[in-house]
Amino acid sequence: MKKIFTIAACLALSAGSVMAQETFPRNGVYDERAGLVAFTNATVHTDYKTTIPNATLVIRDGKVEAVGENVKVPAGAVVMDAKGKHIYPGLVDMFSDYGLPEVKAERRSWTAPPQLESTKEGVYNWNEAIRPETDAVALFNVNGKQAGELRKLGFGSVLAVHRDGIARGTATLVTLAEKRGNEVVLKDKAAGALSFDKGSSKQDYPSSLMGAVALLRQTYLDAQWNAQNPQKEQNISLTAFAQANKYPQIFEASNKLNILRADKVGDEFGKQYIMKGAGDEYQMLPQIKATNAPIILSLDFPEAYNVEDPFDARRVSVKDLKHWEMAPANAALLQQAGVTIAFSAYDLKDKKDFLPNLRKAVKYGLSEEEALKALTATPAKLLNAENLVGSLNKGMVANFLITSDNLFSEDGVILENWVQGEQYKIADVPADYRGVYTLKLGNDTGRKLLVAGTAEKPELKVIAQDTVKGNISFNGNLVTISFAESKDSKQSIRLSGWVAGKNLQGEGQLPNASSVKWTAAYSEAMTEKEKKDRAKQAEENAAFGSTIYPFQAFGQQELPKQETVLIKNATVWTNEEEGRLENADVLIKNGKIAKVGKNLSESGARVIDGTGKHVTPGIIDEHSHIALDAVNEGTQAVTAEVRMADVVDPEDINIYRQLAGGVTTSQLLHGSANPIGGQSAIVKLRWGKSADEMLVKDADGYIKFALGENVKQSNWGSAQTVRFPQSRMGVEQVYVDAFTRAKEYEKAWKNYNSLSKRQKAKTAAPRRDLELDALVEILNDERFITCHSYVQSEINMLMNVADEMGFKVNTFTHILEGYKVADKMKEHGVGGSTFSDWWAYKMEVKDAIPHNAGIMNQMGIVTAINSDDAEMARRLNQEAAKSVKYTGMSEEDALKMVTLNPAKLLHLDDRMGSIKAGKDADVVLWNDHPLSIYAKPLKTFVDGIAYYDLERDEQMRETQEKERMRLVQKMLHEKDGGAKTQAPRTQKARVLHCEDVAQQEEELYFAY
Amino acid sequence: MVALLFAVPVMAQVPAPAPKQSKPVLLKGATLHVGNGQVVENAAVGFENGKITYAGPQSGANLSGYEVVDVTGQHIYPGLIQPNAALGLNEVESVRATIDWREVGELNPNVRSIIAYNTDSDIIPTVRANGVLMTQLTPIGGTISGTSSVVQLDAWNWEDAIVKADEGMHLNWPNMLIETGNSRGNERLKRMQEEREKTMLELEKLFRDAAVYKAGKHDSKNLKLTSMTGLFDGSQKLYIHANYGKEIIEGVNFAKKHGVKNVVVVGARDAVAVADFLKANNIPVIYSGVHVLPSRAEEDVDMPYKTPYLLHKAGILFALDYDLAIHGIRNLPFIAGTAAAYGLDKEQALASVTLNTAKILGIEKQLGSVEVGKDATLVVSSGDLLDMRTNNVTYAYIQGRHIDLNNKQKYLYEKFENKYKHQQQPAPAGATSSAGK
Repeated sequence: MKKIFTIAACLALSAGSVMAQETFPRNGVYDERAGLVAFTNATVHTDYKTTIPNATLVIRDGKVEAVGENVKVPAGAVVMDAKGKHIYPGLVDMFSDYGLPEVKAERRSWTAPPQLESTKEGVYNWNEAIRPETDAVALFNVNGKQAGELRKLGFGSVLAVHRDGIARGTATLVTLAEKRGNEVVLKDKAAGALSFDKGSSKQDYPSSLMGAVALLRQTYLDAQWNAQNPQKEQNISLTAFAQANKYPQIFEASNKLNILRADKVGDEFGKQYIMKGAGDEYQMLPQIKATNAPIILSLDFPEAYNVEDPFDARRVSVKDLKHWEMAPANAALLQQAGVTIAFSAYDLKDKKDFLPNLRKAVKYGLSEEEALKALTATPAKLLNAENLVGSLNKGMVANFLITSDNLFSEDGVILENWVQGEQYKIADVPADYRGVYTLKLGNDTGRKLLVAGTAEKPELKVIAQDTVKGNISFNGNLVTISFAESKDSKQSIRLSGWVAGKNLQGEGQLPNASSVKWTAAYSEAMTEKEKKDRAKQAEENAAFGSTIYPFQAFGQQELPKQETVLIKNATVWTNEEEGRLENADVLIKNGKIAKVGKNLSESGARVIDGTGKHVTPGIIDEHSHIALDAVNEGTQAVTAEVRMADVVDPEDINIYRQLAGGVTTSQLLHGSANPIGGQSAIVKLRWGKSADEMLVKDADGYIKFALGENVKQSNWGSAQTVRFPQSRMGVEQVYVDAFTRAKEYEKAWKNYNSLSKRQKAKTAAPRRDLELDALVEILNDERFITCHSYVQSEINMLMNVADEMGFKVNTFTHILEGYKVADKMKEHGVGGSTFSDWWAYKMEVKDAIPHNAGIMNQMGIVTAINSDDAEMARRLNQEAAKSVKYTGMSEEDALKMVTLNPAKLLHLDDRMGSIKAGKDADVVLWNDHPLSIYAKPLKTFVDGIAYYDLERDEQMRETQEKERMRLVQKMLHEKDGGAKTQAPRTQKARVLHCEDVAQQEEELYFAY
Repeated sequence: MVALLFAVPVMAQVPAPAPKQSKPVLLKGATLHVGNGQVVENAAVGFENGKITYAGPQSGANLSGYEVVDVTGQHIYPGLIQPNAALGLNEVESVRATIDWREVGELNPNVRSIIAYNTDSDIIPTVRANGVLMTQLTPIGGTISGTSSVVQLDAWNWEDAIVKADEGMHLNWPNMLIETGNSRGNERLKRMQEEREKTMLELEKLFRDAAVYKAGKHDSKNLKLTSMTGLFDGSQKLYIHANYGKEIIEGVNFAKKHGVKNVVVVGARDAVAVADFLKANNIPVIYSGVHVLPSRAEEDVDMPYKTPYLLHKAGILFALDYDLAIHGIRNLPFIAGTAAAYGLDKEQALASVTLNTAKILGIEKQLGSVEVGKDATLVVSSGDLLDMRTNNVTYAYIQGRHIDLNNKQKYLYEKFENKYKHQQQPAPAGATSSAGK
């Protein structure tokens, strides 16, 4: 006769179903058991979409032996009756740091000297952030405490990722059984791991996001080169990188933009990454979907903010308020859009939030089936471990959960978590005392007790003349109850007792200190209405507002559309031969300027009365640092490999603010911390579009060079005296050296490319170097230089080096002493993009004069006025006007300095910079003379789309304030309901300049 | 006279201060912007011995005895005043040796900015050239940075320059601190909070002790407490630098509690949010942020631009200060212009850099408007002074002295213009195609 255990009774069972420990010597006698267990009468979810009611599950030696409706219980099996219980495959977390050492990121302080080279011992990569030689399995240790915590959440196996560095090596798939490490590893190398975070590396490079992107790119190339040329360089890291590449690649991205950035790098090297996301992916759903990347989702939903104080609450941005409301819907929105999703508990600050937040995601629209899939089949498949975990079929690892009810229902409790056939008890079946009781308190029978909530956490309402909330708790079969005498009373009645059959009874104390006997007679189960009310409340909370594009203040549900617009009877500044036209019309159609002239008409066009108003081309800012997540790499003298296009932030509010100042196109430049900086991104201010959509198509490539004090680190403190160059003398040598190397590099490639196929096979290809590639482009007029410059000596120097090395400088930017060398600039054919009137802020600008632009322009140099400042860019037209004041420049020439001339400097004057039929409809309508302080844009068109419209702006302010108020009220309401809250975040206006390298942490905490 | 102005002295880059007014002068034919909101078309302004003797319609002016300067079609304004500035206390911002606006220590009420004022700064003449003729020399940093003085910008030395010495004390209200939801920083935040409490306590003690110091007898003189006595009898103003709304309220209440008579709030980026409080307490404001970005993403794009108008509407006495960079003080007229573009009446905008400033600094009886009896410190511009498109200062007078509008930058301009004049005349800009291609 078989002995039948109930689930609750088999605590002592510990199946020593161990075969894998063969190589280890044993202390004591061998104690190996078959671990043969049969679970009968269970509802078994063999995988996310298959449920077998009344099934039997048989496991042996830590594996599933059989599962099904008519499975025979084998002889010798321990039988456990799981009637009424559900069995699920153990959950899989494919992003965890379980069992791995903590990673400490210590940054060098700015007062310490730089660390230019790696200090790691051994023949590894030049950069400490590249550590693909790390195998998590080699660092892994079973950690009982962590394992227990994760098992409580329902996990049976996790992917352990050593989260250190940009190339992180391989991750290992392990179970959460508390056995020897050798036994729990399911796949020693299950995935490769990557990120843009340099982790524990103290080396300076890369100091920026675009540096990290560039380093990853170069590492792919170096690994290829190293594999093809094994005799050239011994490098453990590069060999390991190539090895790690064979596994599925998991990329940890800290936000949605980094997912898009990482995906692009992956595409370049034929890799489809699996992304570890941060929870904000829904905010850029179309772009995220287009990556085709599976996404491991965070279940860390933001807590409500403290918004009681209306003044302090202003610090909470609309973006944060909306994210608070929408974050739980992230999974549903992505899944419904067709994105493959998995869940991870990694980000949760309080791991106990895992199940509640998972259920919340289901309430917000994700189906239970998809939720389960995201925690079982999907991670298993992505890790090529479908034959091990993720479902309960024959032969798979015996990882499964036993739950009291449906896992996703509020009543579902994880009772046991079996891992590799080992039983881990999580909780008892909570006794369900919910229902309606008639309370007899002494002789008083005037109250009813309504026990609702969940079986695990019952809630009490006491119904008499008043209905009051009370407290009830069960401990075994003991019960404690307290509630107020009446609604307004501060006096509480306290009862203590025990469960007697279906009823409760015991003794208590009344507020007058007298003792009292009580009974609570069970009269009916929890009413349906009560259940429905709960569900309804949850549903109401799960409603959320609309996504806006961009997900930022002044974002909109619908982006403005391209229109056919006819502006009538305005003063039109054409910047063409016809000059300034009075009482003229401009027709905008299909994103282009269609016609310019008098008495135009166009059927279907929206007509705007331009009487008394002015029309100019959109303002073009040659030197801008808005819409960027980083500005300076600057840790090496030459960083030509970094690309600002990699770090464009399309949600920067300054984009919108500058549209309101008439700006339509900006060159986003690298900073000026080193002689050869990074490659520019030229963008149109298409507010609401993605970073890629903002880039100006087919624009020429540009690169930032810099001279003078910033480059030689003059104002960086006494510790920064190590990096070459530290003087203007050294700066010249940096250029000569860089271009000498570039020429040799180009020659080496030319030689190689001229070889026949057969010869090539026998010859080693030169190493691809992204830094030198960019310099070769300059030599071949395929990339153009914008050079930050101040004093005449260095300006002369660079033109000389250029002549000597055979390249041209396209633009000197800042060029505050351009007036001293205007004749030489003219001769070199270089343009100048300068400030109107800045000076005296450092030694190298003591001779700057506000007449600089005027002299350069007069000398025939293509001259522009730029901002280098997010605020000043809003008034570039006025900055241009200063040249009229200081040098008597014509007004039309002055306007050209912020429109047509920068277009020329950017080689975009064939499509921008003037009001001419056929050019892009980047057009500003002003209320007044565009060089006047009293002028402001009424509408700013980019590609014929009114991205800024003063009237719409006023409506948006109102809509935004209403949405804010709605969210604040909802937040207050949820807080009253007991939701957790957090302090408001600061939303400081972040303005980047050329010289910015670090932010003072203290300032984060200033209220203003 | 124009020729004389533009004759460039080859060596001197800071022009010599103008001599005392020797004969009566009458400017005639201009539009007079009095500074108090009034405009007089076809006006004349006469002055003698540095004081204004006539300001009104040209038709009412008695020309006899005056040297008449015809400024027909031009505009006359009071000289502009830049409050809260380190002009002349610092020449090159990145060079420590040239910085004289910060003394070490937190509480320096006895430190005086006036003695460090460098009348030979190259920057000063460039500021004058756009119509700014006075400034309030203000020390920076610490909790109490010291006392400020008002100076005029055409002097041989700091003693000559004084308009009003040691007129106010500058208290940088300790920054209020907030949690950011970022647990990583909590240690630092805690330390900062402790520091703030300590500073508040120090401030409390200082003001308490200073208030009673005057009454007592002392064997040895306490420089700090002595320097503060003016705060309590109203002879010296307390300028509280604060931006966050709650800081403004906290700071003003602190001053009131300690019996400080005259309080001005400086910076005041959140002034509109606490306008009722400021109005109820009759606190004037020096607003430091027109050409700045909104402080939060949600804020109206033009919030800093229209704040002057909103302050005016709320009935608060305010002045504007250009506080972005010392060299940029010459753009003071244009921040007033921006305020006018965003709601403020043009004459009110002018007042916010002239008469209002004079009132706040306590020099309105002598300066700030073009009215009889006041100093002849005024500017003539051929066009609207507040618009860079038309700002063109043709004459400027300080205390009736006709000042030289030349400066180092004009000198360099001429020097290199001349260099190129001798070279071949180049083709005009725009005739060439894209540069560098």
